[in-house]
Amino acid sequence: METIHLKKNIEPELTLGQWFRNVYEAIKSTAIGLSITFKYVWGKDVVTIEYPEVREELPSNSRSRLFNDAENCISCLQCAVSCPVDCIYIAAVKRPTDAPKMKTKDGTPIRLDLKQYTIDTALCCYCGLCTTVCPTECLTHTTDYEYASYTLASMKYDYLAPDIRAWRTRIVKS
Amino acid sequence: MSGGHHEENAEEKILLGDMEVLKSDLLTLNMGPQHPATHGVLRVEIKTDSEIVVEAIPHIGYLHRCFEKHAENLDYRGVIPFVDRMDYLGAMNMEWGYALTIEKMLGTEVPKRAEYIRILVAELQRIASHLLFFGTYAIDLGAFTPFLYAFQDREQILRIFEELSGARLLYNYIWIGGVWNDINDSQLARVKTFCDEFELNLKKYHDLVGHNKIFIGRTANVGILTPEQCYDYGATGPVLRGSGVKWDLRRKKPYGLYEKFDFDVPVGTGVKGTVGDCWDRYEVRVLEMFESIKIIRQVLEGIEEGPVMGKVPKIIKVPAGEIYLKTECPRGELGYHLISDGGKTPYRLKIKSSCFTHVSMLPEMAPGQMVADLVATIGSIDIVLGEVDR
Repeated sequence: METIHLKKNIEPELTLGQWFRNVYEAIKSTAIGLSITFKYVWGKDVVTIEYPEVREELPSNSRSRLFNDAENCISCLQCAVSCPVDCIYIAAVKRPTDAPKMKTKDGTPIRLDLKQYTIDTALCCYCGLCTTVCPTECLTHTTDYEYASYTLASMKYDYLAPDIRAWRTRIVKS
Repeated sequence: MSGGHHEENAEEKILLGDMEVLKSDLLTLNMGPQHPATHGVLRVEIKTDSEIVVEAIPHIGYLHRCFEKHAENLDYRGVIPFVDRMDYLGAMNMEWGYALTIEKMLGTEVPKRAEYIRILVAELQRIASHLLFFGTYAIDLGAFTPFLYAFQDREQILRIFEELSGARLLYNYIWIGGVWNDINDSQLARVKTFCDEFELNLKKYHDLVGHNKIFIGRTANVGILTPEQCYDYGATGPVLRGSGVKWDLRRKKPYGLYEKFDFDVPVGTGVKGTVGDCWDRYEVRVLEMFESIKIIRQVLEGIEEGPVMGKVPKIIKVPAGEIYLKTECPRGELGYHLISDGGKTPYRLKIKSSCFTHVSMLPEMAPGQMVADLVATIGSIDIVLGEVDR
């Protein structure tokens, strides 16, 4: 085992002048620091937001909980393909030819019957790629961010279920 | 904490300062992975002799998420959310490097406005990242207040990003061929007011922390890196510049529109101690923030109207070939080595991260330091473990 030397600081010898300079600098830097602190004590508004009582409004393009408006979905699977973490599960069957013709809000004909549209929100990475490819703009990020839950299973949202479709009025941006 | 172990020949003498004392047993300590001063999940195995560090071995891999392998199974657009998550404090810069790599292979032309917006967000991100360094470094050295000040200003930047891209940290904003959303005038005005306020604030913060006697005492002459050591290990970014080497890719190999912009490259001068000590690395980062403000002001003046997205095919197929491209990120140079076989997914995407290089310099810097100085040293190289492990 070789001997270990403490890396010594290369400091010039302490003269009396340097000693006084050190004291002066210490007092000066402390005074500067304290003056800034006191400015913040009396001169600034409170910046902390006390969360449950006061809520911040997120910007309208904020990427939070996903919502699919299943009525306007044409089951094109583009969102599922573009998803980098594969958390969108879609099942659709061909619509019978004698069934009444259906159209989405923007006039795209619906040729497939959506049987399942599930997003596992626990896997979602909120990248927003699925919403950008959606041709009918039915899949959107909402500004709803308070949906923590106790189980992973409850993070799986089936957007055909009536209780989840009821969110539409609450969280979807116009 | 793990126990110590006895070494033979305990009779040997060591030097503590000028005193010659009896050599004590070596004590093996684990610093991390939950240590607050390691900025994430870095474990440093240190062997100490009383309070002197004899050896420090960084153990990495706690945040390994297999991004390089993941990228081989994703289409080129789908990789962007993953490169975001490497250096989560400099996500815009990570995206930009990746987008540039693919654009160069595709030969895509990026609209002028998109280029300006990219520089704007990248420099804002650099400020945000350095502000976080500023705050956490002060915490490492025992000052809590600067952290709160720094986060107030960082919050402003995150708000701007949130309005722009929709997310606060992991933006997925810079896309191949341009940027996602256009920036509007009210957001530009917001950036301008931020710059004005922040410049004054930063001067204040630098006085508060950088010129504080205790802070200087903790950082000056500590963790000195010579330029030769930096070259040997391949250090880049503020660590290299802190050692007095004027090397900045934005100047040396300009990408984007950087050659049009007027800014300086701050280097360490050793005002308070020796060139290449912790204080120099700290100062380089603070001065870089001032330079970033300068660049942002020029962007606000020069920004042009026009589209923000270039012509990119719907399904991106990069022609077969190889490319290595590096950009200047807040923590150093980030390189992407892309090998493509002409398919929809990368054949191989190797990422060269600067933080990994800087962590590997710890065994060189640590021996002979006090344990408390080791904390200052780790803080001053400013690593993000997400980028180290990827």
